[in-house]
Amino acid sequence: MKTFFNSNRGAFITLLLLILLPFIIGLFDGASPATVFVNGSGQSKFIQGLAIEIFILAIYAISFDLIFGITGMLSFGHSLFYGVGAYTTGIAMKSFGLPLLPTFGLVLVAAVVQAILFALVLPRVKGITFALVTLGLGSVFHILVMSSEFGPYTGADVGLQGVITPAFISPANERLRFYFVMLAVMVLVYLVYQRFVTSPTGRVCVAIRENEGRARMLGYNTFYFKFVALLLSSFTAALAGFFHTLYQPIVSPNVAGMGFTVTALLIVLIGGVGTLNGAFVGALIYRLLDYGLRRYIGESASFINGAIYVLFVLFVPYGIVGTWRLKSLQMKQGWERLLGCLVDK
Amino acid sequence: MENILDVQNIHTFIGQYHILQGVNVRVPKGSIVALLGRNGAGKTTTLKSILGLTPPREGKVIFNGQEVNGLRSFDIANMGIGFVPEHRAIFRDLSVEENLKIAERKKGDYLRKRDFIFDLFPDLKRLIALPGTSLSGGQQQMLAIARALVPDNQLLLIDEPSEGLAPVIIESMMSAIRELAKESTVILVEQNFLVASQLAEYYVIIEEGRSVQDGKMKDLAADKAAIHRFLGAA
Amino acid sequence: MNSFLRKNIVMLVAVLIMAAFLIAAAQGMEKQDFVITLLRGLAVGSITFLVASGFSLIFGLLDVLNLAHGTLFMIGAYLGWTVVVRPDTFVDMLTPLALIVSGFALGDVYPLLASRIRLGLSMRRILPWGMILVSILLFGFILPRYPIAIWDVGNYGQSPVTFAFMADSGARLPVQPAAFTEISAPLAVIGLLLASILGAFGISLFDNTPRTVRLSWKNFVSIAVALVVALVGLIFNDQLSAFFYCLNSNWLFFIAVLVATLSGVALGGLMEATLIRPLYSRPIYQLMLTLGMSAIGIEMVRAIWGRPEFVMPKPAFFNGGGEACPATNFADWWTNHCSTILLFEGRVRVYNEIFIPLVGLVVLISIWILLQRTRLGMIIRAGVQDSQMVEALGINVRRVFTMVFALGVGLAALGGVLGAPSTGLSNVMGESLLLNALIALAIGGLTSYPGAALGSVIVGMIQQFIIKYGQIGIVIPFTDIIFKPTPPLVPASTVLLMVIVLLILPNGLLGKKE
Repeated sequence: MKTFFNSNRGAFITLLLLILLPFIIGLFDGASPATVFVNGSGQSKFIQGLAIEIFILAIYAISFDLIFGITGMLSFGHSLFYGVGAYTTGIAMKSFGLPLLPTFGLVLVAAVVQAILFALVLPRVKGITFALVTLGLGSVFHILVMSSEFGPYTGADVGLQGVITPAFISPANERLRFYFVMLAVMVLVYLVYQRFVTSPTGRVCVAIRENEGRARMLGYNTFYFKFVALLLSSFTAALAGFFHTLYQPIVSPNVAGMGFTVTALLIVLIGGVGTLNGAFVGALIYRLLDYGLRRYIGESASFINGAIYVLFVLFVPYGIVGTWRLKSLQMKQGWERLLGCLVDK
Repeated sequence: MENILDVQNIHTFIGQYHILQGVNVRVPKGSIVALLGRNGAGKTTTLKSILGLTPPREGKVIFNGQEVNGLRSFDIANMGIGFVPEHRAIFRDLSVEENLKIAERKKGDYLRKRDFIFDLFPDLKRLIALPGTSLSGGQQQMLAIARALVPDNQLLLIDEPSEGLAPVIIESMMSAIRELAKESTVILVEQNFLVASQLAEYYVIIEEGRSVQDGKMKDLAADKAAIHRFLGAA
Repeated sequence: MNSFLRKNIVMLVAVLIMAAFLIAAAQGMEKQDFVITLLRGLAVGSITFLVASGFSLIFGLLDVLNLAHGTLFMIGAYLGWTVVVRPDTFVDMLTPLALIVSGFALGDVYPLLASRIRLGLSMRRILPWGMILVSILLFGFILPRYPIAIWDVGNYGQSPVTFAFMADSGARLPVQPAAFTEISAPLAVIGLLLASILGAFGISLFDNTPRTVRLSWKNFVSIAVALVVALVGLIFNDQLSAFFYCLNSNWLFFIAVLVATLSGVALGGLMEATLIRPLYSRPIYQLMLTLGMSAIGIEMVRAIWGRPEFVMPKPAFFNGGGEACPATNFADWWTNHCSTILLFEGRVRVYNEIFIPLVGLVVLISIWILLQRTRLGMIIRAGVQDSQMVEALGINVRRVFTMVFALGVGLAALGGVLGAPSTGLSNVMGESLLLNALIALAIGGLTSYPGAALGSVIVGMIQQFIIKYGQIGIVIPFTDIIFKPTPPLVPASTVLLMVIVLLILPNGLLGKKE
């Protein structure tokens, strides 16, 4: 137990900080924890909102890291997973008046269906062609969502609005509860992913990324492993979409567009491809940067976003977490060498 | 005798793998030198390191008295080194004639050398308009060697010329190599010891990325124990 | 004959399906509608082809999926439009650009110079960075003070919209002569030249590979040309501006096309040499880099030209009007230069529906000749398969890479400026066109040159026919229901076709098996 705690010290400290975060921010603002607890308006509530968005983004990004960073499939249609989750939730709750749990069940079913849709394509195409086909599937969904025929359901190019979130996790009145639900979901997703990657199935996925032919020659049915990764990824992204609809007052059709897939790519790149933790770091930096730039620079924010993107590709190709891991290994070796010298003398 | 090529203790990495860990090859002018060794010993990498396709990290490659390691591949090749790679690397989308023309370094190289090449490989003459894909293995090998003959090369690096060829074709291949060795120097990588021993005057044995033994082919052919030890052949 | 059938079965089936589709499409519409839609399909296909062919050349040889290609297409359009609407800006830009280029034009001289200088190791490390820093500082000091007549997106009277409106109505805003007020002209020129030489020298010092350089007068031709252009642009600035303003619209259009294409070539070359080249060992990062470049490019266009949409004025050659129009035959058209011509009783716009497909055809044939008949084309075709072997033959493949990248981007920019008078300019034109080009390539085969042409035409045709049927409605067979395809079906249909084609033939219609 103790070793488990020691080896995950960083994670536990982060978790503790995140639990305390709303109250700490409240203190800065002069609001007592009690005020924060009853969702009084103030800085704390705003920060909670930002954090919720970051959590949702992180869950979405980690699902992309699983199929791109871990399994090595480049999908340009990843926003489809998220968009389907978001729109299914919105339409089920608004147009059909379903309560929360059945809606969640429906999202699960939708996630399985879209994973199967992608899996149908899997054995036929690879590499760039897979990217193009997924891009195509993604844009078909985007176009459907945007079309005026489905306007009554999807809100066409305006976006889906007027979804009433159940009162007990209402983002307006019960934001602190929403915050902790989101935090719990994120931790759960992370644990599941960590477990998956270290499991035999996850190891085969990594092997597929390194060399699919060799993995197949070792006797693994690579299709099965890729499908499992897709299924998990699709489910996670749909989950993120589900919470997106609950939290945001409006579901913009942009979440189903190519641009949102690029967002996932960007987040994973900033954090570090194939590191899992990187998705969280990347989502944090991406959202804060986006927020700060839009606030202080305005219009040309995406210029700087693009520039940061290019600089990352050129100079920090392993992302923040990846580079940190490389460096911390070197630092550790350096310390050991130093200690070794001292002990010898 | 003067050495046209002198490879001094080169170390080459591919990714993070230390493939060559000290290879020395001396090639006297006008000779045929065979690089021998087991699969994966580093023979092909040695050829590629000479040409700078996998640039060596340490050591020197001296060609005609000039240090060439660190130069870019095409600059090295333009000094007069021709390369006949493993699996021939014939350009599929080019016709046989274009496969020869692309090797020109000066305008008119192909026209000048055409007769010489067709004397050496009469088969190629009637295939001239066909696409590179439609050739048989032996024809592709001839084309690959012919391609290295188009410019004025002083040194030819030939990788596995007999691989996958029928015995009859190997015979004519060998006589062609012998013929062109009159004009230039040849480094030959060859798995088939019989072929290598008939062609080469000198040999270098490479084992696990190191050159472990070299000398005259005559001496090696007599030394059954060495052959068995290094090459696993009787 | 039999083997021909077997080899080209896919293409034959594709052509048959196309023909069946066209015949089916012809059933539901009048003859003139059919002809016009066919020509429009060809026109859209031609513009798509200009982008797709460059994209596919780059992907084939360099293995780079250049997702910034659409943005470069858009930049080409905007540059060409600027030359037509504000020739004085173009003239003012000439001098500083030529000066910046001149330092880099010395290329091979620097390694020679560097080999003459003996320096300590630490100096060798610091010196290039120092030179680049000084160069950047100099540029940063001089360029903002260099007088360039440019509009102001924030100020309506000086905004691109006003200039566009004036240009459309044939009037021109008066030219304000450029005046050096914040910096003296000789100082600016010498400073820019110095900055450029320092920057180029500094960059060249990073490349430590020894090589043999022989200097001849040829090394100095390009810098001489650049300097002459710079000086002429500086001294005769006002006269040149006035000359361009009075130039007839045909010549101006021609110059715009030239400028846009050459800028595309230069941008492409620069992009490959600086950004793409360091990443050949990490292809996935190249892809992400081009994505980032695309975002940057779009923002730059927004910052310089703003968000409003423009239409480039058509050259007078294609824009006649009056009594004799529309022309009834081509001889008639040649004398009057009508904007439209009657073909099968339908009014066809000459520029949009005849000129653009013709240019597309010319480019198709010229690139085909380049690929099949020249040494460069031979190297490209060989390099697509095995660039390492090409290098081992003694060919500088890297330089061919740069040339192909430049050529590809130049083609995209040409597409942009040619399309500008018919489809107009907007911030999103690049993205939508790139999607079209990607679909066309996926259908035709990613690295196949004829495939790019076939795919582009298919995509253009399908979209135009669906748009047309959206207007006139289509009777669903065996029923009386009239179905009108809605606008979202236009992109959706081609995307679906792409998915279907890729599932049946993962390499596209004409792509080769790997």
